[in-house]
Amino acid sequence: MASRWTVARVLALAPDPGSAKAARGLTNPRTWSDLGSNESLVWGKCQGSARSPYQVTVDLNEPAFRCTCPSRKFPCKHGLALLLMWAANDGVVADMANAEAFASDWAAQRAGRTAPTEERTPAPEAQAKRLAERESLMSAGIDDFERWLHDVVRQGLASARRQPPTFWDSAGARLVDAQLPGLGERVRAMGSDVHARPDWAPHLLDALGRWYLVVRAWRQRAKLDAAAMADLRTVVGWSRRTAEVLAGERVTDRWWVLGMSIEDDDPQLVSQRTWLYGERTGETVVVLDFAAAGGALKVPQVLGSVVDGEVALYPGSAPKRALFAGDEHKVTQGDGLPGATDVAGALARAAGWLAGNPWLTRVPLALKDMTVVPGDTPLLVDRTGAALALAPDTEVWELLALSGGRPVPIFGEWISEHFRPLAAEVDDRLVQL
Amino acid sequence: MSDWDDLLGAALIGTARRTFTLDQLAIPGTHDLPVEGAEATLLTAAALAAGYRRAGWTPPTWRGTVAPPAGPDDRTECSPTATQLLELLLDRTIRIESGGTELLTLHWLTAARDAGQRPPYRLTVRLLRFGTANTATRALVREVIGPRGAWLAQHNLSWRWAAAIPAEDVVERFATAARADRLALLTDLRATEPDFARTLVEDTWADEQAATRAGLLDTLHIGLSHRDEPLLERALDDRAQSVRAAAAALLDRLPDSARAARMRDRATALITVRKKKLHVELPAEPDAAARRDGITDQREPGHGRAASWLIQILAAAPLSTWDTALIAHAEQDVLTGWTKAALRQRNQEWLTALAEHQPGPELVAALTPDTATALLAKQKKMDARFGGLLAAAPGPWQAKFSTELINKLRAAKAEQVLQLAAATLAEHLHPAALAAVEAWLLTIDPDRRPARRVLRGLAHALTIRATILQEFT
Repeated sequence: MASRWTVARVLALAPDPGSAKAARGLTNPRTWSDLGSNESLVWGKCQGSARSPYQVTVDLNEPAFRCTCPSRKFPCKHGLALLLMWAANDGVVADMANAEAFASDWAAQRAGRTAPTEERTPAPEAQAKRLAERESLMSAGIDDFERWLHDVVRQGLASARRQPPTFWDSAGARLVDAQLPGLGERVRAMGSDVHARPDWAPHLLDALGRWYLVVRAWRQRAKLDAAAMADLRTVVGWSRRTAEVLAGERVTDRWWVLGMSIEDDDPQLVSQRTWLYGERTGETVVVLDFAAAGGALKVPQVLGSVVDGEVALYPGSAPKRALFAGDEHKVTQGDGLPGATDVAGALARAAGWLAGNPWLTRVPLALKDMTVVPGDTPLLVDRTGAALALAPDTEVWELLALSGGRPVPIFGEWISEHFRPLAAEVDDRLVQL
Repeated sequence: MSDWDDLLGAALIGTARRTFTLDQLAIPGTHDLPVEGAEATLLTAAALAAGYRRAGWTPPTWRGTVAPPAGPDDRTECSPTATQLLELLLDRTIRIESGGTELLTLHWLTAARDAGQRPPYRLTVRLLRFGTANTATRALVREVIGPRGAWLAQHNLSWRWAAAIPAEDVVERFATAARADRLALLTDLRATEPDFARTLVEDTWADEQAATRAGLLDTLHIGLSHRDEPLLERALDDRAQSVRAAAAALLDRLPDSARAARMRDRATALITVRKKKLHVELPAEPDAAARRDGITDQREPGHGRAASWLIQILAAAPLSTWDTALIAHAEQDVLTGWTKAALRQRNQEWLTALAEHQPGPELVAALTPDTATALLAKQKKMDARFGGLLAAAPGPWQAKFSTELINKLRAAKAEQVLQLAAATLAEHLHPAALAAVEAWLLTIDPDRRPARRVLRGLAHALTIRATILQEFT
């Protein structure tokens, strides 16, 4: 009997964090019937919003997914949820001698189809048709979004702030429906930002500018270069398959783990950003990992260590998203924060990135000789006196305790004119903040 | 950037009422962009101007003066395992009932202090918060967090108890601060520089109010020595009764003082020793000199007027006046006086002799750990009285005593003692007793729930203490 997968392996198949989260919500056995598995197949029926339950089957060999739901995500949340329940191995999805008819039929069909090998890859015409369908759906969503943006600036920002939360939520939901989930998430988050932030007006105007740039860029996407197109895809949330990234550009370097940020506000999903600095290339890249709450993150790197090996780069402008590739990664202990400069130097580098990618929101800064200045607005000040305001949720006292009032190297993220420290160098070692 | 402000103004009101044109932007080359309509123009302007602002943002210059950094700390940092353990204790991931978690934290801090090691700097803030919440631990916390912690505490008013005050500021602060702060300041100063602290009190003594004088005098109990005697002797003549009482109470603890000698004269006039027997005469109404030395009409519980005077005289006279062999022949009033004297003078010889004659929690608590456990080891009955003595005993206890104690309690099925002394056992038992505790836990009747709970808590605490011990040796 083949051993069951880990939850992390299942979640690695999720096309985006939203799917992983949705799948977690579907693992209630009461919404499922006719569950079972054998050596190569897992199957079950899930009661969704349609009258008859969706028939879900997973072929573990590829893995390949089959679900009767209308979702365009691949794999869909039902397939992921089924695998999660199977991976739990708690008797809910039990091994059976005979598969349900819908599962074995599909498997037989697939076997028939895979036999003549050349025919296996989907016909290019079919693929092109699917792509055209998706793009026209997205274009319609963009047109709708442009009308909404026009509406907002015609009525004015002050008026937009007085709108109920549904104003932002429904605009966000329409974007999600139009396969623009990244944009939808940003619009939805603005609903609380306009009330929570004292600088809400410039913040909203800045966001409107960026969103409008999405509209303009989408219309002219045929003229964009590969990196700009990739940035656009990222901001709208058009995700890429891991396999596609692994097949793309790869870089071997000694990658210093500069900072990590774990976000667990979401009760279902933990996400982790790991910032890396390549010693040879001088590149800064970020690795994103997701795991179900309570599950282990896929690549738990140690802050301050140096990972010798290969990463696969996502297409797009710097700082790029990356994925650890290959098998052998030699890990050694680093001795501090490489590539640190004063504030002016770090901001000059940031300006280059911001000019390359107008939608960049988190800018990594490696700063040397920063003094912590506590007060009503806590600051980090470099030797020239250049001051960065610390993010409101920074643990200023811990930072002060670590530094002892002396200038120390600090790594962190620059997010809408605030600095969020992630690591500080103390006695040649990086310490997590 | 005023064009940004203009743009923001138009955006706030809305293009229905105010429009914005691209040539209002101080960005070259914008006027020939293909844009139609007021809304698209404003959105385009926002995209351009916001992009410029983001990429061209320049930091403000800070012109303040940086506070002096923390002084050096030569101690080595504790091991990663020790650090992890402290973190678990501080965030209460490790939880032990009835204050056990705080006790283990204190164990950790004591072990670190004794080993001359320090926790990593990143835990300084959490230790300061721990000390702020647990007042009794502050002296220890302050010692463990060292110069870094004292430096950090200067920046936050709620941690002032841990702040390092520069010597030149102490006099100034003492002269001007509120009463509670002055007392706190003096309490700190007595621990390190008792003579300097006393001179501060003496300097302002004449101008203080009575309640303040009594409070200031009270702080002298820290680091009390014969050099404090002149001030105390002077305070015996104070106008305020509370100040006189405070002075008398402190002089009770100085058996070499002139007042103690006067008390000895009063005592030897009343008590004579003939053929190793005590002949006691009860005192008459105290005269003015005796009143000045602090003899009052306060009754001792269970004793008459004259017997109460006798007890007060004996409690203030030096114990070196007598021989401990007399204990066996003494009446209860004399024993009470001597017991008070032994406790106040911290006279180990007398404390031991008295405890052996008549063991009580108060005496046991004042013994050294080894003397106390030696006394406890001699007790035969594992009853409630024993539980009371055990609960009062100071620690730490030796491995041999700890293991034998658990085995004895187990053999006697003394679950009552176990429950009475649970907190003391968790605090003082040597980690070597863990095996004995676990063996008892294995064989105890599952229905004995309260006893089982105590044993489980003990096993847990001992395991952690064993780890602490191991990490700091």
